[in-house]
Amino acid sequence: MAKNSTKPRPGNARQAKIQAAQKANGGGGVNKIVVATVVVVVAIVAVVGGVIWMETSQKNAVTGGGNAVPAGAAGLGAGYPAFTDVKAVAGAPTLDVFEDFQCPACKAFEDQLGPTVESLAKEGKVKVVYHVKNFLDDNLRNDSSTKAGNAAFCAADAGKFQEFHDQAYANQPSEGAGFTDAQLKGFASAAGITGSALTTWQQCYDAGKYVDYVNSVEKKSFEDGVRGTPTLRLNGKDLDLGQVGTPELLTQAIQDATK
Amino acid sequence: MSTSTDEVGTAPAPWYRSERVLDVVGLAARLFLGVVLVWAGFAKVGRPLTSQRAVQAYDLPFLSLDVAGWIGLALPFLEIVLGVLLVLGLFTRPAAIVGTLLMVVFVIGISQAWARGLTIDCGCFGGGGQVGANETKYPQEIARDASFALAGAWLWWRPRTLASLDRVLFGH
Repeated sequence: MAKNSTKPRPGNARQAKIQAAQKANGGGGVNKIVVATVVVVVAIVAVVGGVIWMETSQKNAVTGGGNAVPAGAAGLGAGYPAFTDVKAVAGAPTLDVFEDFQCPACKAFEDQLGPTVESLAKEGKVKVVYHVKNFLDDNLRNDSSTKAGNAAFCAADAGKFQEFHDQAYANQPSEGAGFTDAQLKGFASAAGITGSALTTWQQCYDAGKYVDYVNSVEKKSFEDGVRGTPTLRLNGKDLDLGQVGTPELLTQAIQDATK
Repeated sequence: MSTSTDEVGTAPAPWYRSERVLDVVGLAARLFLGVVLVWAGFAKVGRPLTSQRAVQAYDLPFLSLDVAGWIGLALPFLEIVLGVLLVLGLFTRPAAIVGTLLMVVFVIGISQAWARGLTIDCGCFGGGGQVGANETKYPQEIARDASFALAGAWLWWRPRTLASLDRVLFGH
């Protein structure tokens, strides 16, 4: 910085004063080393404190209920196999579907191809495994994906996962608005959960029974290379949604993967 | 005969080379880079997972997911600290050096993502992660970060600016 310090210039009283002060002070108007030390310490505290704060808030966000695993899923982190009551035909491929209930592209996929996936699954021509993610909560600064995921697996307890799932996508709020508790309960009853089953659903929902499971799926799927939603994996291979964007193309791809 | 002026005895410099004009350019560079850094930092604060994923999405072979995650958590605060120093004009040159190098690293990171055929958003101002193949904005992102690097380089070369704390506190 020395190179740019100004030469004494007559007529610049302020400059002269500053330089006089510098001399009196032994070289620095205020002690530069002291200021530098303060700035560096404040900077380190800000960065380290910020990291700890973000890490803590993340930890608080990811634990908020029980750690139950829905029936059929192999454990925390594993996907949820739907249509397990259907007997798959020999050689039927597995379709892994990675979705977030708040993801607009997932809704677009569900609107376009959801019925195809469902009817093929019901015919046993494909084994569908849902991986319910919740990464959008962080970006949208709400907890709707986690709540909706928990709600969906509470519906799974009543045997209505697919119905709840379809309700939630059909009625997805605009991005960022989030689902309300009342909306999610409405999806549950529209999915056919009524009476005492709805009471059980509500208890499960309030307890956050599957919150940890949804978080574990989020983490595991990212580690497995899922970088966006919706991601479709047919027998472990990523499908390019641009290539299977119509019911016919998706049906063909599933047929081709059938051994 | 002339009344005393700042330029006694030297040929008058063209207006665009005058100290005053250069100081003003420096001020503009400082505020440009500083405001951008503060803005970029705040866009990521409070979104820990998104910040981590944004860095992890670059899929850098020498960074484990864990290390990339920690970088993602630290970056917003580093950006804010640098941005505040630049806006205030305090330790302008050191802040500008770090800021310039940071922008160069970003340009390299985005370029390698582009070259390797990844389809990600740079996550520069929040967001980030994978996007559709036709939604990438690599040229714009690189040009933008390069312009920030240029502002930083100016201050690296000539940290003296108008209205800076450096001047108030240290006289230069």
